[in-house]
Amino acid sequence: MEADWRRIDIDAFDPESGRLTAADLVPPYPTIVTLQELQPRMNQLRSLATSGDSTGAVQLLTTDPPYSADAATKEQYFVSVLEALTQVRQADIGNMVKTLNDAQKDILVKYLYKGMSVPQGQKQGGILLAWLEKITQVSGVTPIVHYISDRRTV
Amino acid sequence: MLHLQPQNLLIQKTLNESIEALHQDSPLTMDRIVSDFDYTTYHISNSAEDKSVLLLSIKTKAWVSASECQLDGSRTLLKFLADHYSPLGGLTIPAQMEPGYDYTLQLSLSELTQDSILQLSVLKTVILSYPFELAIAKFTELSQQQPAPIEAEITGGEVAANGDNTLFTIKYRDEENIFIKPSNDRITIIFETIFQDETDKIFGKVFLQEFVDARKRNRQIQSAPQVLYSHEPPLELKKSYQPPKVAEQSRRFITFVLFPRHFQTKELQFHSICQLTLFRNYFHYHIKCSKAYMHSRMRFRVDSFIKVLNRAKVDEDDENDESSADARQQARRTFTGRKIVY
Amino acid sequence: MSQSLRPYLTAVRYSLEAALTLSNFSSQEVERHNRPEVEVPNTSAELLLQPMHISRNENEQVLIEPSVNSVRMSLMVKQADEIEQILVHKFTRFLEQRAEAFYILRRVPIPGYSISFLITNKHTESMKTGKLVDFIIEFMEEVDKEISEIKLFLNARARFVAEAYLDEFVY
Repeated sequence: MEADWRRIDIDAFDPESGRLTAADLVPPYPTIVTLQELQPRMNQLRSLATSGDSTGAVQLLTTDPPYSADAATKEQYFVSVLEALTQVRQADIGNMVKTLNDAQKDILVKYLYKGMSVPQGQKQGGILLAWLEKITQVSGVTPIVHYISDRRTV
Repeated sequence: MLHLQPQNLLIQKTLNESIEALHQDSPLTMDRIVSDFDYTTYHISNSAEDKSVLLLSIKTKAWVSASECQLDGSRTLLKFLADHYSPLGGLTIPAQMEPGYDYTLQLSLSELTQDSILQLSVLKTVILSYPFELAIAKFTELSQQQPAPIEAEITGGEVAANGDNTLFTIKYRDEENIFIKPSNDRITIIFETIFQDETDKIFGKVFLQEFVDARKRNRQIQSAPQVLYSHEPPLELKKSYQPPKVAEQSRRFITFVLFPRHFQTKELQFHSICQLTLFRNYFHYHIKCSKAYMHSRMRFRVDSFIKVLNRAKVDEDDENDESSADARQQARRTFTGRKIVY
Repeated sequence: MSQSLRPYLTAVRYSLEAALTLSNFSSQEVERHNRPEVEVPNTSAELLLQPMHISRNENEQVLIEPSVNSVRMSLMVKQADEIEQILVHKFTRFLEQRAEAFYILRRVPIPGYSISFLITNKHTESMKTGKLVDFIIEFMEEVDKEISEIKLFLNARARFVAEAYLDEFVY
């Protein structure tokens, strides 16, 4: 430690430096969603997916996502989202995407990129890529640009 | 070039040159060092007083270990070589070896025949063949004592193990050895080799796997010797040889099993031995060839990638512009107005 | 092109197109410096955008990290066995040693990936963005092809060499 004191980034210790960290960029939420509050929603998603009503499941998961939840809760919630997304048959994806409005597509794209960054989603890479392909066929690059600039994460 | 030749071309060339020069009455003053595989060097020189007499000396890593190989004391490597070379035209064996070399032959250029030249160019192989010849002699002895039982084929190494413990070792490189184990129905030859880097190791593995599989796959070469490879010394060696601890990870053992059909006649015998002594060179040579090919491919690939990337470049529209070309000319002048020539 | 490769490449293409909207941006930390913000750690999180993971499966992934004036794209090439591993390693090393000629190639890949590209606003100003994306897509296709071709060649050569050697013992 003493040897490389010159390398210490002193600005990091200065609260006045005006530097922003990733945590500073999270938009302020009035309320925080907890896992208990999400539980009914997850159950609903699961039952919709298993009963074959994929359209309903996708509509549900693309409206009002739990942006304000903490990382662990999002993780839990995402498992059921991934389940719902992978239940859909490849052939139905195209039609399903057409039923979504622009805001819903933006949310779906967030889930797709998140899915491909975690190991359980990477196993399903094929189907997530199929979703992404259909979305880009309909709306081009727009939802992706929204994704990279949006600070609200799923 | 697929196969490596056992004969040393440089020796042949040198000797032919000398004979040619002698015929034209202008004998060459010769002092050449010629190298061969596995740290072998030959020295070809004129004897001081008579230019029609050449000395050919060889120095090889395998010499010490090969001359230690003995069957019953009646035969030695020196005698073996003398028997091999003295009947040939134009060759005599001097009483004194050239200092710094292992073996020397004296050549009288005027009497040298093409056959002698050929035999001289395989001198290294002949030296290496001595332990093989011993092994074959031992094999003959063993097989007469105890005719090969039918089940020997099935039990494999077991029969050999309870028979005889004769094992000939050739230390042909610093850390690598050849082991020759005669038994009553076969001769087992084990090569020990080390891969110098990670790529060689993995390429080597691919090659060795193909050596093992080649016989099973291709019916045409069914009668070739069986090949096995392992990371550990095989059963035949377990008792008598402990590999040194260095480079343990990259040490491999390759086993060839020769059956009598591979050494029935003198010609077959010498041919098999030539091929076997060249095995390591052949094997490593082809690994290097593959690497070289891979590199040339990659170089080609880099070029094609750069071409694609250059398509992305915005064309410099003002390239042919008169005034800007002038401007660049201006920029290449020094302060005093002299042109800078690149 | 195989069924699952096409969506993968399409996803990479669109993601790159979205990310390659770069502008000149001077460093906020050091006066008169202009550095690719994606490469500067721990400062100015506001200049970094959401990273994009695109994965075909566990072994074939792309990570695109956009920022205000630079994009870093890292590629994980499929490595099924130890031969492919060494071939990918050799090949990417070979390219990285020639990074000057490639302008956008990063000399060292980021940990966990086989090869990385760094595209800055300097590059997008002097090159056509569309063609740059084309290059990366073609690169991805060709690398896989090249690796499997070299592997096939190696096996074929080994087989040929082994058979030629053993053939000498057949009488």
